[in-house]
Amino acid sequence: MAPRLPVVIALSLASAAVFGAPVGVLALGEGTRVEVRGIVIDGLPEPRPSARRRLAWEVRKRTSIETRLRPGRARLDDPSIFETPLLYLAGDRAFEPLSEAEVVGLRRFVEFGGFVLVDDASGGSAEGFDASVRRLVGRAFPDERLAPLPRDHTVFRSFFLLERPVGRVRGGRDVEGVLRGNRVGLVYSRHDLGGAWARDNLGTWQHTVTPGGERQRELAIRLGVNLVMYALCLDYKDDQVHAPFIMRRRAGTP
Amino acid sequence: MLAARFELGAGWVWATLLGLALVGAVVLTARELRQASGIARERRLALLALRSVTALLTFLVATQPRWLERRVEEIEGRLAVLVDDSRSLRVADGERSRADAARALVERWQERGTPGVAAFRFGSELRAASLGEIAAGVPARDDETRIVHALRELATGEGSEDLGAIVLVTDGAESDRAAPVLETAGVKVHAVALGGDVPLVDDAIAELEADPVAFLRQEAEVRVVVRALRATGGAAQIPVTLWEGEQVVREALVDVPAGGEAEVTIPFSPRRLGRAVYRVTIPVPSDDAVPANNERAFLVRVTRDKLRVLLVAGRPSWDVRFLRAFLKRDPGTDLISFFILRTTSDLTLAAPDELALIPFPTDELFREHLGSFDVLLFQNFDYGPYQMAAYLPRIREYVERGGAFAMIGGERSFGSGGYAGTPVADVLPVSLPRAEASEATLVREGSFRPVVEPELVRHPLVALRREPAASFAAWARLAPLEGTNRFEGLREGARVLLARPGRRGKREPLLVTGRFGEGRVLCFATDTSWRWGLTTGGLQGDASAFERFWDRAVRWLARDPALEPTRLTTDRERYGPEGRVRVVGTVADARYRPIAGEAVRVRLLDATGTELGARTVQTDREGGLEAALEGPAEPGAYRVVVERPGEEGDALGEEGFVVELGGDELADPRPRPERLRALAEGTGGRFVARAEDAPSLDAFDATRSRVQGVRERAPFASPFAVGWLVALLIVEWALRRRWGRR
Repeated sequence: MAPRLPVVIALSLASAAVFGAPVGVLALGEGTRVEVRGIVIDGLPEPRPSARRRLAWEVRKRTSIETRLRPGRARLDDPSIFETPLLYLAGDRAFEPLSEAEVVGLRRFVEFGGFVLVDDASGGSAEGFDASVRRLVGRAFPDERLAPLPRDHTVFRSFFLLERPVGRVRGGRDVEGVLRGNRVGLVYSRHDLGGAWARDNLGTWQHTVTPGGERQRELAIRLGVNLVMYALCLDYKDDQVHAPFIMRRRAGTP
Repeated sequence: MLAARFELGAGWVWATLLGLALVGAVVLTARELRQASGIARERRLALLALRSVTALLTFLVATQPRWLERRVEEIEGRLAVLVDDSRSLRVADGERSRADAARALVERWQERGTPGVAAFRFGSELRAASLGEIAAGVPARDDETRIVHALRELATGEGSEDLGAIVLVTDGAESDRAAPVLETAGVKVHAVALGGDVPLVDDAIAELEADPVAFLRQEAEVRVVVRALRATGGAAQIPVTLWEGEQVVREALVDVPAGGEAEVTIPFSPRRLGRAVYRVTIPVPSDDAVPANNERAFLVRVTRDKLRVLLVAGRPSWDVRFLRAFLKRDPGTDLISFFILRTTSDLTLAAPDELALIPFPTDELFREHLGSFDVLLFQNFDYGPYQMAAYLPRIREYVERGGAFAMIGGERSFGSGGYAGTPVADVLPVSLPRAEASEATLVREGSFRPVVEPELVRHPLVALRREPAASFAAWARLAPLEGTNRFEGLREGARVLLARPGRRGKREPLLVTGRFGEGRVLCFATDTSWRWGLTTGGLQGDASAFERFWDRAVRWLARDPALEPTRLTTDRERYGPEGRVRVVGTVADARYRPIAGEAVRVRLLDATGTELGARTVQTDREGGLEAALEGPAEPGAYRVVVERPGEEGDALGEEGFVVELGGDELADPRPRPERLRALAEGTGGRFVARAEDAPSLDAFDATRSRVQGVRERAPFASPFAVGWLVALLIVEWALRRRWGRR
């Protein structure tokens, strides 16, 4: 079914003036909002403490998703990880092997539908965190391994149309993922996404983004939004009705 | 009396092959010995004789011949007359019908006096009668001719001990193609054939086979076998026509050899959902003896190959994500989903061509294609921002005409979605607060565990287990939900399946079902059912409750027959005129509680809803029902419905069937005298080829053979025979070595 353009459109910018929706409340409670919950690992400090809050804020500002602006943290062996389907793990150094309970917690979380974003805050300049992550993924998902996501993966068009991943650093052209069935249950970026998102309490960006400057920061934020959108919509943008629009816009993108 | 019989334990084929092989071995031995030099003639003959004896003993040991001696007692018994009452007896092979011939014969027997003779009719089952009743007329109404079944029941059933012989009066047109071997326990069967003396002239639809379920607008097939029995001429080209109502769907030509059959497969594509009655016809020649079998009918339940579900979500959320993922994964669902990813208050900070967003095609979805969906799901979706007010009456109309609609909770649903006072609110089983109401009136925050309403614990949406107690326990183990939409009240007909516990024992509706017009409606006032998947799964290792709930919900909305409270089946889908319609099933009320030990009314209705017959029957302890009704006489589509007495028009359940003029019974009305002859001779009875030639009843032998004992002699079944065989082989081997042979 090819949607007709002259229809009333909800999402196009042209419909900006049409509203007055009688929305009386914002949510059925804080617990129904999307939370970017951090993973706590012993001996691994959170390198960009404001990153998850900033990402939540950007997602709320740019999309219709309602987010928690004060996201929490939990260990992987804490049953509370199953109360929100999105976890975020960032680090800039190696960490000790996790306990079996933590590994099982990660495996169960992904198997029952959760999504994990792993962010190498070193931007690929150090190997300690990378080695620890690969060891953890190997233990949690022995039948799967981290593999680069193809350039046309839904992650790059779940909301914004993106050509490649970037973060605080430009980094490699790929992000990697662990497939569970036909969805990606874990995404691993070595671009220090959190470094590009982080702001201090006064709103000042905390890290310089290189080499692309503020445009690159904007693209890193868009990738963060896309990842959250992917966690919530999975392959929605692969649905047949979206294809002609996305193809047309891709063709026009330099 | 002694009856002796010789048998081979190994079977004749195997014995013959073995015998030939052994004879060959002896011949080869003879040739070898003849060509051998240096061995005396006497020794050659001795070796050959030894080989021959060994071969013979091998044959006897391997084939195990035995001699059976039976001591049989002949007892004078009663005589029973068994008369065919199936519709094939209506066929006229000459000037009069087979039924008339049978009636005249029984009348003749009765006139001559028949003391002690019992009489029975049979068709699909055995029924006691009297010769007087049969002499008065053979109605020939049964849809089946189960000869072997009737004979076996009569010969071995209750009261058969003193029965000596059965006089069977039939055309031999057995319906049961896989009829078991007849065992009459020594009772003789004398057969009087009807209709075997005049060749039958009949073009017929011998077989018709179509899938009982077909998919909308997808090609289905009906397989038709046509038979041509004609007085003159060779092969015939016969047109076969498929009809739906009075509309020709397709026509095919089939070349039928003289006196034979030919098959043709006709494709067709159902155009409407629901039950459809099709007919297949062939022309009726002027001399056709059975015009009724030139037309057959069949019933097809037309469904979609997949459930078409439209899911519209006001924003991405975890509930949306888990529900869409489940529906997308389900191979039985064709899902179209639209999520509002951005509202006008959101600032994307990107040019339109940098966004992967598409317009929301409201006009196409809600004006052009709404009717093509089986289920419409609004998940946390508010219509206001999308100028959809004009489409809301269409949604109401869609449900009223039989569509299914569910509204799933969230801050953009129900009252807070602005639906109060709209046409969509009309279809909901709950009344909504207005959007301007206070937040506490619209929603209630906080974590809670839903409770199942005990009255509805057997409803498929909430029956997590078969037993109510286990269901309650299973619900109590699920992860708690968070936040609910609130309602002002319930509408008439609303059923609250799940509730949120409140203060002082007060409960707020959480899962409510209802009907609007022909359609089904479901309200689910939360957006955290995903917790039954991830949270329950993560903590307990079992996430099946989420999928089970939504699978049942969507199927219930789409009226999956397997989820209906009452389920009925008829013993056949096609009957002949005035056939006996047997109905079995389980009966439950709209709350899925078995209607156990109660009187229910089973009514037979035609296509216009006119009642043609009814019976009141008692259900068993689990709501089981069995009933038999006299079938209609006219061909067409019919249904049986079950209702509670005094609640006519409010059917608990129904099942459809068709009535054909011919049906299976007349598909092959050819008489089978040869089969009757074999049957009679196999039991020691007498075969009479024509009813006119039948002697009086006292001329039929009514002595019954009873086996008193059996003596078996099997001389080669002992270990000694094997020992002798081994000894012979050793002696032969030793002599051959001694005399210079290998």
